[in-house]
Amino acid sequence: MYGIEAINAVNGWAMAAVGALIVFSGLVMLSFIISQLHKFVPLLEKIGKKAAKPEASPPTETLPVEKCPTDLKVQATLFEPLIEKLGSNFPLAELYSQAKEQNIPHPHLSLSAFRQAGILVPLGDGIFTWDKEQLTTVCKKG
Amino acid sequence: MDLFIKFLSNTGFALADPRHVVMLCVGILFIYLSIAKKYEPLLLLPIGFGIIVGNIPFFKGFGLGIYENNSVLHYLYFGVTSGLYPSIVFLGLGAMTDFSSLLARPKLMLLGAAAQLGIFVTLLGALALGFLPAEASSIAIIGGADGPTSIFLTAKLAPHLIGPVAIAAYSYMALIPIIQPPIMKLFTSRQERLIKMPEPRVPCRKERLIFPVVGTLLCCFLAPASIPLLGPFFFGNIMKESAVVERLANTARTTIIDTATIFLGFTVGASTQGDVFLTPQSVMIFCLGAVAFSFATASGVLFAKFMNLFLKEKINPLLGAAGVSAVPGSAREVHLMGLKEDPTNYLLMPAMACNSSGVIGSAIAAGVLWSLNM
Repeated sequence: MYGIEAINAVNGWAMAAVGALIVFSGLVMLSFIISQLHKFVPLLEKIGKKAAKPEASPPTETLPVEKCPTDLKVQATLFEPLIEKLGSNFPLAELYSQAKEQNIPHPHLSLSAFRQAGILVPLGDGIFTWDKEQLTTVCKKG
Repeated sequence: MDLFIKFLSNTGFALADPRHVVMLCVGILFIYLSIAKKYEPLLLLPIGFGIIVGNIPFFKGFGLGIYENNSVLHYLYFGVTSGLYPSIVFLGLGAMTDFSSLLARPKLMLLGAAAQLGIFVTLLGALALGFLPAEASSIAIIGGADGPTSIFLTAKLAPHLIGPVAIAAYSYMALIPIIQPPIMKLFTSRQERLIKMPEPRVPCRKERLIFPVVGTLLCCFLAPASIPLLGPFFFGNIMKESAVVERLANTARTTIIDTATIFLGFTVGASTQGDVFLTPQSVMIFCLGAVAFSFATASGVLFAKFMNLFLKEKINPLLGAAGVSAVPGSAREVHLMGLKEDPTNYLLMPAMACNSSGVIGSAIAAGVLWSLNM
């Protein structure tokens, strides 16, 4: 079969028309979307700024400590806000990195001291818990 | 003596057939064009050499030929028949493409859409000549002027036509400097060719980052069959634009695309064994390919003129010719023709915008044709 008869037999006209229409409408839609992108971007930036603001606001927990405290009780007052944020069970590495971020001096020494005093109790797999009662006992003794 | 005669009877000289000789000449011509004339050397050199390798007569059954199971060439050819190489080429292409120009002038995307009309006109032509719908679709996609897309669709719909379709697609891509300029001149006046395109705005990074995501979602939702091409294409682009995986983007646009191009060209060339390739069907495919390519160029140019009827800020209709996805050949040709008319008229960047839109358009068209034939 040849010619128009062959085209009709396989519904060729519809195939060509639908194909051309889909390609054309796809690119028209894409063209429309990219023509609006430059309007959409500032909107995104606004939303981004709004979301970023509350994060920048809480500077309350920064602890400007000048010297390395030798007293466990003083050291504990520096670490407790961080531990409260991390929850009852936390990875020690996370506590260490947060202490560094907050400029707490010599965090490794302090953490080591807490561990030796039994205030930081290992739960396995690098997870630790903060024993408040042990801290009170150590402080009373000290 | 018997042994010697037996050996001689198994050599290529004894097994040679006039069809092999014709194809060997075609291979040599391709190599000549790529080296002496510098016509698309990246494509024509591997294809030309592949044609020579594929047309050396051999004793069948030794597992040497590309169509024989377990031959090395057969394994390499798997990348073509499975559509693997085209997808990899698209990944690299995406990592190379800068959509800034298109983002700055979105209306140029319509020219990329208009140039795809050549595909659908050729589809009708191929059906009228008695090809089956799957074969006609594979032939029609030559109008998209995109070698990897043509190979991908043909591998899926009519694997027996990969050789002629691929050779036709790549030949016409290489012959852009000969085919396109007369058509561009025929449909445009000198005044139209002198139209200058204004300096575009510079799209911000966020726009360039959002585009590949939006492009993937929209195009692949519309024509899911184009996922194997457009998925890697936009992925390559986001790697480039994000600038956080520069090493990967660099590998995609250099080593990966180069490797795929080498094997794609070489195995497609080797698949053109004279006895399989030289058929009346192949001649028809070549003729239809020429119609598809010419029609695609003309429809792009004519659509640009049609758009000018409504636009305040006219666009140079030559840009319509770059709507075919032969990157960057057709954009370069448009640019050169613009420069010929006015040495201060630089059309390369807007032409590249149409070109990249053409890549997306032809990949969608391939996906649509595949879906329509499922």
